[in-house]
Amino acid sequence: MYWYPPSKPREVKGGIRAQAHKNRSSLSWWTREWLDVLDSFNIGERMNRGRSYARKGQVTELSITAGKAEASVQGSRSSAYQVSVGVNVISKQGWKIIGKALFADPAAAASLLAGQMPDGIEKAFKEAGANLFPRRMSDLDTDCTCPDWSNPCKHIAAVFFLLAEEFERDPFLIFKLRGSGRDELLKMAEIKPAKPEPRAASPKPAQDSRAEPLPSDPGKFWGQGLGEYDPGDVFVPDIPAALPKQLGNFPFWRGEEDFADVMEKTYQDASRAGMAAFLGEAVDENGAKPKSARGRGRPAGSRPRAHRSAI
Amino acid sequence: MIVLHAGEIEGSLALWGESSDGSNTKGRHPFSAKWQDIKKELKAQGVNIDRRHSVTGVWLPSKGGKPLSSRGSAADTPRSKASLKRWDVEAAWLSPKDAAAVLAAARGKISIGGIAVGPDLAYWSDVYGFAASMVARQRILPDLEEEDGVYSAVWRPVLVGRDYEQFAALSKRMPPAARAFDQGSKPPRKSAADALQIILSVLIDHMVRSAAHEALPDAYVRQRVFDSAHDSWLHGLRTPHFVMGNDEDAGKLAESVREWQHAVAVAHDSPFRLCFRLEEPVTPRARGDAWFVRYLIQSRSDPSLTVPAEAAGKKRADKILGKHATQAKEFLLMSLGQVSGIVDGMSDKLSKHGMSGYSTNAAGAHRFLVKEAPVLEQLGYGIILPAWWAGGGTKTRLAAQANAVPKMRAKGSLSLDAVFRFDWKLSLGGQRITMKEMERLVKAKTPLVNVRGQWMETGSGEIRKAVDFLKKHSRATLRDSVMMEFGAKPAPEWLDLEITSSDFRISNMMDKLRGDATMEDLPQPDGFSGQLRPYQVRGYSWLAFLQELGFGGCLADDMGLGKTVQMLAMIQQYRQAGGEGPILLVCPTSVMSNWGKESAKFSPELSTTIHHGPGRKKNKAFAKQADHNDIVVSSYALVYRDAESMKKVRWGGVVLDEAQNVKNPDTKQARAVRSLRAGFRFALTGTPVENNVADMWSIMEFLNPGLLGTRSEFKRRFFLPIHARKDADAARALKRAIGPFMLRRLKTDKSIISDLPKKMEMNVYCSLTGEQASLYASVLKDLDEKLRSAEGISRKGAILATLSKLKQVCNHPAHFLKDNSAVPDRSGKLARLTGMLGEVIDAGEQALVFTQFVDMGDILKKHVQDTFGREVLFMHGGISKRQRDEMVERFQKGKCSVFVVSLKAGGTGLNLTAASHVFHFDRWWNPAVENQATDRAFRIGQKRNVQVYKMICVGTMEERIDEIIASKKKMSETVVGTGEGWITKLSNRDIRQVLALSEEASL
Repeated sequence: MYWYPPSKPREVKGGIRAQAHKNRSSLSWWTREWLDVLDSFNIGERMNRGRSYARKGQVTELSITAGKAEASVQGSRSSAYQVSVGVNVISKQGWKIIGKALFADPAAAASLLAGQMPDGIEKAFKEAGANLFPRRMSDLDTDCTCPDWSNPCKHIAAVFFLLAEEFERDPFLIFKLRGSGRDELLKMAEIKPAKPEPRAASPKPAQDSRAEPLPSDPGKFWGQGLGEYDPGDVFVPDIPAALPKQLGNFPFWRGEEDFADVMEKTYQDASRAGMAAFLGEAVDENGAKPKSARGRGRPAGSRPRAHRSAI
Repeated sequence: MIVLHAGEIEGSLALWGESSDGSNTKGRHPFSAKWQDIKKELKAQGVNIDRRHSVTGVWLPSKGGKPLSSRGSAADTPRSKASLKRWDVEAAWLSPKDAAAVLAAARGKISIGGIAVGPDLAYWSDVYGFAASMVARQRILPDLEEEDGVYSAVWRPVLVGRDYEQFAALSKRMPPAARAFDQGSKPPRKSAADALQIILSVLIDHMVRSAAHEALPDAYVRQRVFDSAHDSWLHGLRTPHFVMGNDEDAGKLAESVREWQHAVAVAHDSPFRLCFRLEEPVTPRARGDAWFVRYLIQSRSDPSLTVPAEAAGKKRADKILGKHATQAKEFLLMSLGQVSGIVDGMSDKLSKHGMSGYSTNAAGAHRFLVKEAPVLEQLGYGIILPAWWAGGGTKTRLAAQANAVPKMRAKGSLSLDAVFRFDWKLSLGGQRITMKEMERLVKAKTPLVNVRGQWMETGSGEIRKAVDFLKKHSRATLRDSVMMEFGAKPAPEWLDLEITSSDFRISNMMDKLRGDATMEDLPQPDGFSGQLRPYQVRGYSWLAFLQELGFGGCLADDMGLGKTVQMLAMIQQYRQAGGEGPILLVCPTSVMSNWGKESAKFSPELSTTIHHGPGRKKNKAFAKQADHNDIVVSSYALVYRDAESMKKVRWGGVVLDEAQNVKNPDTKQARAVRSLRAGFRFALTGTPVENNVADMWSIMEFLNPGLLGTRSEFKRRFFLPIHARKDADAARALKRAIGPFMLRRLKTDKSIISDLPKKMEMNVYCSLTGEQASLYASVLKDLDEKLRSAEGISRKGAILATLSKLKQVCNHPAHFLKDNSAVPDRSGKLARLTGMLGEVIDAGEQALVFTQFVDMGDILKKHVQDTFGREVLFMHGGISKRQRDEMVERFQKGKCSVFVVSLKAGGTGLNLTAASHVFHFDRWWNPAVENQATDRAFRIGQKRNVQVYKMICVGTMEERIDEIIASKKKMSETVVGTGEGWITKLSNRDIRQVLALSEEASL
């Protein structure tokens, strides 16, 4: 195979892109373990090609269901290859044991709910007689429609990399792959899943949005005696973009720019502008400071003003 | 005058104006202001809105087929119930950018130039402040909005924690007028919360989008085709092109966004939140991990309701959490997990210490207090901190008393440059502490210390800084000591320094600067004519004290307390004590002639020259002229324009009158005055400048360079903390720094009231503009011809008519010409009145302005309204008794600051004691009539002192007749005092002399 010139994949627009530029040591242990499985297949250069496919966004579709991950990968041919990675599913009984073991320790539960795989998780799987990740080739059923005789091929490798990234973001996806979603798992641990109310695409204030008629009393209408507004502390936070950081990586990012980088830069720029606006130092589009609109206390005649001519 | 209103309509903010006069078209609001007029005035104030109006319906309380005014005058207040009716007004629907510009200009203001800010507009400008605050604090998230299948990229506020509370409070505060637009046939019923949410989102989206947009290359902004919906989303969030279209990918993206925001949404909808409580060690001497951070479940609706976290899912918690108990556990666990991502080592703590909380040492507790707690609070978690950490962490102050020991027992006067050795005495939070103990604290490196049972924060690094500072400054000059105690530099911010001394001269001087010791009253200087009142002696002695020490000061007494005479006394004293160099007096043009008059009156020995006009001297000639005079009066404009000439003079001192003119340090005039070489520097102002922190730096930098640090130091140390955080410490520090160099006395101060007569009359001298002077001359020329020919009755008539015309010219060219021409900048007298009324309004007081001409009253009312954006009352003979009573009532209730009264109408029967200032804009020449008018304010029931200003144009018949009446009054009241008739009996020569225009009239 060394003498075949490496084929060039067709360029795709808007595929799912691996965002992690990190080296493997900075990844979480469970993601590393997942990638170790791929390593154990010893596929050489296909591994690197797979990684570069994942970064370039050659994977255009990826879905995870119980026992199977399916993906479309754009290779050198005009139509995309279909990749599937099958994993054996853990029995219901097995999940019960795992759920109990997991949620006995509140720290483990907390980290899991916040998107961190707890350290003791493998022990919990062992108790159920299962492994978190497949150990052997025979535990996996991988397939690709490409002509490469090697299995796994670089397309499968690319899917592995993207799966790794998704697992990093949301460890519950691993459980999904193994047959139990987040809510099922919580139920087994007798924790009622919190469901946000059905809502529009954005958080709305939990305020009653009933109709409020206008009052006809002039005093009330013009808002007499409604008191002062106290803005409280205003500051530029030390850690920029804390909110998006708190929410973690964006699921299945396909953008060309790195999402976290864009957020950090935008939040910083906005924060500076917001502070200036709050302090009344807003700079207008031409870069000139707007004239003070204060009309009081200055001697007349020092200020050019327009005036209405009719007296 | 226009009152500007703003309301939400169909997702944007619209402006409309309510004017006091207007035409009545059917169905139209009778007083709907012309959008053109609003636009023009806003533009003059730097708010440029390029937008047409559209006629829009607004629902207003109405009665008798008329909308009720938002200014709610007494006559409008219905006895029967008002009802809502739709009126068409000229409304401009604003783009987010325009909305932001208008709201920024209206924020915290009563008016934008001549336009009054209505309560609804004021409300939306508060919302703008809230939006800016949320953006600054980054409480925002990118989102996708779907409407009719079309997706848009938008930024949203995240209303969690304190922002949720603020949002709720703001929606309660919304005046219904702010949501009164509706085109339909029924009044709108949109809730305040909905309207607020809409505008808040619009403003926030605009702020973030435009900030991001600015930083992007044009090519990217213009890009239209994207590889993925994700790319298109990022583009839509950062450029004005927010619409993303309606393809399937956008729908999928919207789902991903929702998934991504899951945690925020859950936190938002949950009735509880995770709360952290810092618990201090049981015994103060406990070492190691004696602090504890406890996790609690806290109810959002009632924050006082908490349960320990480990109780979640147990019976104890169920009682409080009710049916939500099962959710509480997952929510709590998820929250704790999320905190792990923010607080370092949190997950370790969780697995090590479990669900109740974790113990930590003093450094950890401190980190929690200053770093983690504020972040957690921002993210919407509850925080409960020990009581001693009140007010968000006021650092315990270190006080250092420096005993200044003179090197040698020098006799005689103090020199500011003499060097002293200091013995420091320290105390921390009111507890005495030795230098050794301090050094031990430095070594312990603990930011929370327990000094004699009391926990306090010191900031470990800052103790070191303080100790280093104290060691380094074991000696200093007296001047540096003063700067050290009062100035913003160079001592560490939380170190209070006090300089004491066993040498009485030093300790006394410091006490005087602190205001702890009374200043000795100096005797009135020789050659000063006139009698200073006791408080004026104190003021002038204070000025002389600072001058002698070499510090500058700002005399900020209330208007009418005589800042001018105090300053003149000080200058006289300076000369008497052998002080050299001419004194430069800088003031607005409208006050220049007053300075000339006053100095001639009170300091006749001091020669004064007025530097003004096209024929003024320049360069060497100017320097020579200055050196030959004691006082040179110039204007702010000329100090800048003739900067080169000004620099050629070594000034004995520079005095700024109406110093608020240099409050903006970037203006040319502020730069020019700062660059002058001067022995002493003083500033006079009647407006309460100390209330505006931002304005303080420029004036103080002129007076005492370096005292408040550089501009950026000042901003960081005072302006930002005081404005953005309302930091009491910073406000106190600023007051301390400024205190010794600022003297402000109010008329209402007890010590002043006793010194003041109940009624104080003074002449206010103004000058004519060039236009006024030439009109004056032409009126005189007409008279000349008539005097030659006319005799008897017709002569008398001609003279009286001329007198009237000259008065009109002195008042205002438009008054004389009766041509409805433009008003501003054409009358010296009006300029002066406007300036003085500005001070009255700023001080929250009220004034009466008398004129004998109804025409002039109209001009005054309109001009003052247009300048200050406040309603001005005008009473004349042509109004009904009812209107009259209503005006009096409104004025007495404090609803209007300025009341113009035509002298005839206001002569009798009125009680206007709310006024403490009375202006006689033109003169009756009949003291009895004028006094009767003055007495409207000065009546039984008047508790304040009343200041009476008679406005006189210098070098005109106004001044001369005033002088004649004043001198005759002394001899015999009967000769004059019966109006103007006596003038007609003068000889032609005398008349010409009385009416003549002298050179000093126009500057």
